[in-house]
Amino acid sequence: MNWQEFQRIFKDCKLDGNKIIIKSKLHEVISFVTANYTYNILKEIIANDKGDGKTELIYHLFSVDDDEDLFISITVEGETESVTDIFKSAIADENEIYDLFGVKFTGNENLKRLYMPQDWKGFPLRKDYVQDDTRLAWNDDNEA
Amino acid sequence: MTITKLKLNLGPQHPSTHGVLRLILELDGEKILSCEPNVGYLHRGMEKMAEQMSYIQYLPTVDRIDYLAGCFYSELLCRIVEQALNVELPDKVRAIRVMLLELNRIASHLLWTGSFLMDLGATSPFFYTFREREMILKYFEKLTGQRMMYNYFVFGGVRKDIDYLEDVQEIINILPEKIDDYEKIITDNPIFLKRTERKGILDKETALNYAITGVNLRASGVNLDFRNGDYLYKGFDFRTIVLDGKDSWARYKARIMEMRESCNIIHQALEYLKTAPTLEQRLINPLNLKLPEGDYSAQIEAPRGLASCFIRSDGGNEPYRLKWRTGSYYSVNLLRKLLVGEYLNDAIAIAGSLDFILPEVDK
Repeated sequence: MNWQEFQRIFKDCKLDGNKIIIKSKLHEVISFVTANYTYNILKEIIANDKGDGKTELIYHLFSVDDDEDLFISITVEGETESVTDIFKSAIADENEIYDLFGVKFTGNENLKRLYMPQDWKGFPLRKDYVQDDTRLAWNDDNEA
Repeated sequence: MTITKLKLNLGPQHPSTHGVLRLILELDGEKILSCEPNVGYLHRGMEKMAEQMSYIQYLPTVDRIDYLAGCFYSELLCRIVEQALNVELPDKVRAIRVMLLELNRIASHLLWTGSFLMDLGATSPFFYTFREREMILKYFEKLTGQRMMYNYFVFGGVRKDIDYLEDVQEIINILPEKIDDYEKIITDNPIFLKRTERKGILDKETALNYAITGVNLRASGVNLDFRNGDYLYKGFDFRTIVLDGKDSWARYKARIMEMRESCNIIHQALEYLKTAPTLEQRLINPLNLKLPEGDYSAQIEAPRGLASCFIRSDGGNEPYRLKWRTGSYYSVNLLRKLLVGEYLNDAIAIAGSLDFILPEVDK
């Protein structure tokens, strides 16, 4: 991919190794790279908890024709845009991240508790998740 | 006449049965209008567990992500640690790993062939494929002491030197003939063709859009095999199976052909191992093992598509964050699209042809 061209269009970004770090316009960036380059698979979305309610999302794109990986990283606070209209596989990734990190994706209508029970409180992969908190018990009797 | 929609809950019968997937189907007569997969019955928190375990403590648990092809996940974790510590594997370790991975792939495909035919109502192929799979499992049991959760790959090598090579030789001598036998009773069987041909058509664009990888993608005509370019497979000569059928039948045929190709790879590894010197391993000391700060990732072509692992290390004993990417998770997500417009009695056949396994979905 052409980094200079990318930087000219999206000014607020920087390159770190093979990862492009952007601050905003996630949907616009993803649709730009898929439309202008040959990236046609969204391999996965990796979420990392950064503390203070911030989550880093790494979008791992792959081009079958050029055999090339691209990482786009964005740090969000609780909510971001969904890319399910570009990549349908994101339905699965976003749902998982919603369940384990509590990040909401606007535009994804399939968000629900996936692995955790429907009435579970808290998001287990966040670093501030307290495991022996009694509020997390399954039945309502234990609710504090 | 008014059209009444019926909501049907497809599985699971009981939370402890194996392969627990719940599909909420919306039906018009027998036609499927929408499908909503509901997963999570087998969630074990593999990613959360990793954050509280040292690398060597975590290693035996990763086989459980896919209990039919556990080697692939041990390989991924070992690979990340080796990559992070810049350890190069001796050729013999590479050959051992390739041989076991491919044996594991065949065992997994054999189980799939049997159970897929079982889904379609044919019981006898199940016994035939399990007979051959048993040979592979027996070999693994002899070598590692385990039939499924091998825990044989360790950081920087393998647990002990390879042995009982004559058993592997026997397996790859017998297997191609047996695969011929399966093909005789399955491939052109008219009932089988009626249930699979032009059913569950997955075109190239949809497959890529849903991040489908592995055999399912190659049966849709995309040449993408992550074994090409994999450092472990360097020097091995094999063919990538690409079929253009796009339907359930093509996915079946691709797996059968892939098993033959795996035999071919095992044959090459075996020829090398027969004359290879005794293994001198420089294992990574697992005690107090720390990865330097940074992000690491590794990927491999697993039987059910691309499997990859991402580790963010803060320099400590445990990973700060560990993420698994498994092929099955995306195959289940594909059911949302693939089952729409099909008939209810084909739903199981189409879902079965994608070869997903639920522990891999739930992690």
